[in-house]
Amino acid sequence: MSTEAREQTVKSSFYLQERLRPVVGAAIFFAIMLVTFIGFAPDVFLTGGIYTAIFLSLPLFTIVGLSLVFVTVAGEIDLSFPSTIALSGFMFSWTLEQTSLNFYAGLLAALVTGVLCGLINGFLVTKLGLSSLITTLGMNFALIGLTNVINQGEVRMFTELNETFLRNLFVGKIGSIPSQMFWMAGIALLLGAIFHRHRFGIHCHVAGDNPEAGRAMGVDIERTKTLCFVLVGICSSITAVISILLNSTYFSTMGEGYLLPVLAAVFVGGTPVTGGRGTIGGLVIGAATVVFIQTGVVAAGLDGYWTSLGFGLVIVLSLLGHRWFSGRLTR
Amino acid sequence: MKREPLVKLVNIQKSFGRVYALEQINLELYPGEIVSLVGDNGAGKSTLTKIISGTEKPDAGGQIFFDGVEVKGWNAAKARSHGIETVHQSRALSEQQSIFANVFLGRELTNKFGFVQRKKEVEETEKLMRRIGYTSKVWTPNSSVNKLSGGERQGVAISRAILFESRLVMLDEPTTAMALSEAGEVIDFIKDLKNQGKSVIFISHNPWDAHSVADRFVILDRGRIVFDGPKGDMTPEDFIAKLHNFAKNS
Repeated sequence: MSTEAREQTVKSSFYLQERLRPVVGAAIFFAIMLVTFIGFAPDVFLTGGIYTAIFLSLPLFTIVGLSLVFVTVAGEIDLSFPSTIALSGFMFSWTLEQTSLNFYAGLLAALVTGVLCGLINGFLVTKLGLSSLITTLGMNFALIGLTNVINQGEVRMFTELNETFLRNLFVGKIGSIPSQMFWMAGIALLLGAIFHRHRFGIHCHVAGDNPEAGRAMGVDIERTKTLCFVLVGICSSITAVISILLNSTYFSTMGEGYLLPVLAAVFVGGTPVTGGRGTIGGLVIGAATVVFIQTGVVAAGLDGYWTSLGFGLVIVLSLLGHRWFSGRLTR
Repeated sequence: MKREPLVKLVNIQKSFGRVYALEQINLELYPGEIVSLVGDNGAGKSTLTKIISGTEKPDAGGQIFFDGVEVKGWNAAKARSHGIETVHQSRALSEQQSIFANVFLGRELTNKFGFVQRKKEVEETEKLMRRIGYTSKVWTPNSSVNKLSGGERQGVAISRAILFESRLVMLDEPTTAMALSEAGEVIDFIKDLKNQGKSVIFISHNPWDAHSVADRFVILDRGRIVFDGPKGDMTPEDFIAKLHNFAKNS
């Protein structure tokens, strides 16, 4: 292509907005879905109640999804986070029981568990060179097995925490908006800044795009990837704590039901599986899309069986949308 | 007065399984000297530069000295902090990232919390590109590397090598896939590095290029140094005849 032709291409193609394309694509997709739901059941989707329900569960999927963006962009995948949620949730609950409801000790126990799970995944993948897909799938089984063995199927109730300051701080309400939405926004802003502007975020991108280039320039790619797994562990434990506080209950199957929706949120949000690229803003919109389907399908009067069909359609259509949207703008 | 070598390799070996990529390498590199490292495919040129640049670890037993001091735990970050910059054959660019992110990769300008000073990096990249003559309306420092032509990508890789205060620049096949005019610019650039007092290791399959820039030739053959001597009065024809001779007898 001649220089003039390339200049023309640059001028006519939102060249500088390239990084925003997946976010804009995910937002357009979300808007289409919202309009479709409103068209089907305007009385439900034009009132506030449905959105309160969505705001309750959206942070749970978003917080863990944010960390999944890092690990995916770094060229790996983590399928063990549902079990990390269950195990760190157990450690939180068990510590609460052992310490007469000392919240900080419980939180610390959950976070340490999450960090350890991440370190094990990181060690297996970066030091032993195992596939992250298979390793974390195996870890998912191993960790849930461990959780079930030590929990023995017990359901742990924490109704004593209701109306306490700390519970209100994490899962209370500010106006009509659940507190966890503000925690989610804070974590998303912090991780967004790290993802795009921090040295670690840049190294994550390079780890997924061309790890050899990173190594040649002195970037510790193995450490970067391990930290991504640790981040998944930390976010999983935060999700576990919020979920337990929200329900005032711990049960060892609490991590089930996160795997596919969270992965769907990552991909619907415009982060490709190929690594090197990703978007935090897109993930938030992707998680909103996924949670909206979960809640919206039932609220629209359809039975729960339609949810999976909705997920499937959304994932396939959004991938087609991302491809079409990006392709159109570059031609 | 005896000159102190900038880098000294003593008994460096590197094996991959049962195959020796490098055997008993003893080499000294002096400040302000251009060494042309030549040899056939598989002679061990790239492995040698990777060991000097810290991206490949030598087998146990060898020693690396920098400024007369033996260095331990040599890696890419340490090598770069000692002023060793490498333009790898693969260019070592993260193609989906911006030009400025690639230029500062591994040495980001950050605040004390590790957040990148993006504006400063962009400005420095702009200055750098102007300095080496890569001016274009097509791309800015924010453009992705995958939008650039092969020569422009090489420009990014080379500019990265001179941004920081380097003392030794190694260029592994820097003129591959370049137009003649672009290759000429690279050759001039290498001579300019020497004028600035920097040491250069230049690897090329092109004996004319290797001859034109060199103060000294090091010829590798199947992992061993078979010739190490100054260019002196050696003409390009003599040099090529010497290369053919080694190739024939190997």
